[in-house]
Amino acid sequence: MSRIWLTALAVMVAGCGIQPSEVIDAGQAPTGVASGATLYFVDADDRLRPQLRRTDHLGTIAEALAWLLTGPGEDLRTQITTTEGVTRVFVETTPDLIDLRLPLATYEVTPLGIDQIVCTALGVWVQSGGSRTTKVRLGFTLATPESAKLRTCPLIE
Amino acid sequence: MTWRLWPRGLRPRLLVAFVLVTLLGAAAAAWSSAGSASTALVTVTQEGLTDTLSDQISAITPQLTYPPDQAALDRLRAAVGPDTAVTYRDLRSAKGAATGLVTDALRAAVRTGNRLVVQRITADDRPWLLIGTPVTITALNGERTPSGIEVYAVRDLTGVQRQIDDLTRSAVGTAALALPLAVLLAVLAAGSVLRPVRRLRDTARRLAAGDLDARSPPRGADELADLTVTINQMAESVQSSMATQERLRADARRFAADASHELRTPLSTLTAVVEVLGTMTDGMEADARESADLAITEIHRMVRLVEDLLEVSRFDAGTVRLVAEEVDLAAAVWNCLRARGWTEQVDLVVQQEIWLRLDRRRLDVIVANLVGNALRHGDPPVRVHVSADRDQVWIVVTDHGPGLAETALPQVFDRFYKHDAARTRTPGSGLGLAIALENARLHGGDLTAGNAPGAGARFVLRLPRTLEDG
Repeated sequence: MSRIWLTALAVMVAGCGIQPSEVIDAGQAPTGVASGATLYFVDADDRLRPQLRRTDHLGTIAEALAWLLTGPGEDLRTQITTTEGVTRVFVETTPDLIDLRLPLATYEVTPLGIDQIVCTALGVWVQSGGSRTTKVRLGFTLATPESAKLRTCPLIE
Repeated sequence: MTWRLWPRGLRPRLLVAFVLVTLLGAAAAAWSSAGSASTALVTVTQEGLTDTLSDQISAITPQLTYPPDQAALDRLRAAVGPDTAVTYRDLRSAKGAATGLVTDALRAAVRTGNRLVVQRITADDRPWLLIGTPVTITALNGERTPSGIEVYAVRDLTGVQRQIDDLTRSAVGTAALALPLAVLLAVLAAGSVLRPVRRLRDTARRLAAGDLDARSPPRGADELADLTVTINQMAESVQSSMATQERLRADARRFAADASHELRTPLSTLTAVVEVLGTMTDGMEADARESADLAITEIHRMVRLVEDLLEVSRFDAGTVRLVAEEVDLAAAVWNCLRARGWTEQVDLVVQQEIWLRLDRRRLDVIVANLVGNALRHGDPPVRVHVSADRDQVWIVVTDHGPGLAETALPQVFDRFYKHDAARTRTPGSGLGLAIALENARLHGGDLTAGNAPGAGARFVLRLPRTLEDG
């Protein structure tokens, strides 16, 4: 009889405090380190080509796009026509959408050039821990229906 | 040991049971609510801490040099906050004494699991949350691989512990509030159960005391009401059987009285005839005279028997009345003896002159019966001793015969009791002692039989000094 009472008491006391525990899984580990950002250029066959720009850190989407707009190395080309020195891109992100405002007009970018921008932005996004299904929306200096489209990168899906 | 403390009364038992049940229920409710609340609290706190850590790390990693140098590790550690250790291969950046609490199990889980893990421990009587996580490199295809950077943070849970303690205290307080309510309810319930029981007990007590009209009205439709109905039925049947018996007894008494009365008239005629017959026996043949004498004796016996029967019936019917007067006790006893010519055979010892109120005729009946029995059944000398104190008087009649058998003592006052079956032809009616006892009781006194040490039978008549007329 007294043993039952003691057990009940012990259980009740035990239920009222913070108990030590085993090692518990608490979710996904943080990510985001990288030795550089991946930029997408176009090769001689008009195909998208990833190129790692070693900067010792991943950096932001804006930084990566600035590198992209600055231009490729010697063996790749770009289909984005830029004004010299104007590489500033405004980036706004939500978990589902990356909103880019480019210093470009629609006519300065081919569809492949748009893919270059989308893939570069999404690559940095994914590497810093974002979702691969996030969409990208491009804003141009001149208003155009292209700005309403939600885009994805053909290489990151 | 608990059972020895279990109280005996129904009311305390009900009280204890009620209070125990309530306490248990309240305690269980309080415990479970406090328990789930504290679990929720711990979980939420834990999630908050890990989310914060994860966000802090994620915010800085894109700007972090990789592979990191000591400065990079220090930056990461500073971003995460105090009590944090960051390692990369042989490099290590740590701040805060609590970082020493990180367990090997957690370290192993971080190294092998590629996931964020936590562990709660207690150290120095304080609860701690250990958080460990690797920082991963995510490839463009979404694949995550360990970067070799590991972050360990130690967070104090004392604040949560305090909140839980407050929660528990308030739960216990709430449960304690139920206690007086439980006591009140128990008292009410016990009352509602015990009141009918007490009523039944009172009824049973009145029945036992002879009040056969006692009943308790059944209330409600529970088991106690059933019991009440049953007890009422029992009382009913006892009462009716008692009434039947009483009626039968009264009938029997009335029959004896009527029979005696009816016998009286023919008997007085017979007596007269026998008187005449008695005067004529001188001229009879010897055997005819013997028959006549026998007839005369038996007729006289019969007359006495009928008189005694009538007297007994009067006692039974409760119609006898004392005719009390102031009497000199010694003189009355003497007169009784003298009237029957016993003065020669009986020693009368009187210690003092005693006057008291009594029924002279009935005293005569008692004394004559006792002395007559002593003379008939015992041996001389027969002694009559009269004494008195402030409240009572005693008349003790002792003979020197064989005395009364022990087995006979309880029965000598029974009607028609004759100790010696061989002596059935004695002139007594067999009612004498019964009548004497009734007469003694009528005076508020008593008559007892026994044996005197060194002598024969001894009868003691005790009468109160002051007679209550009634």
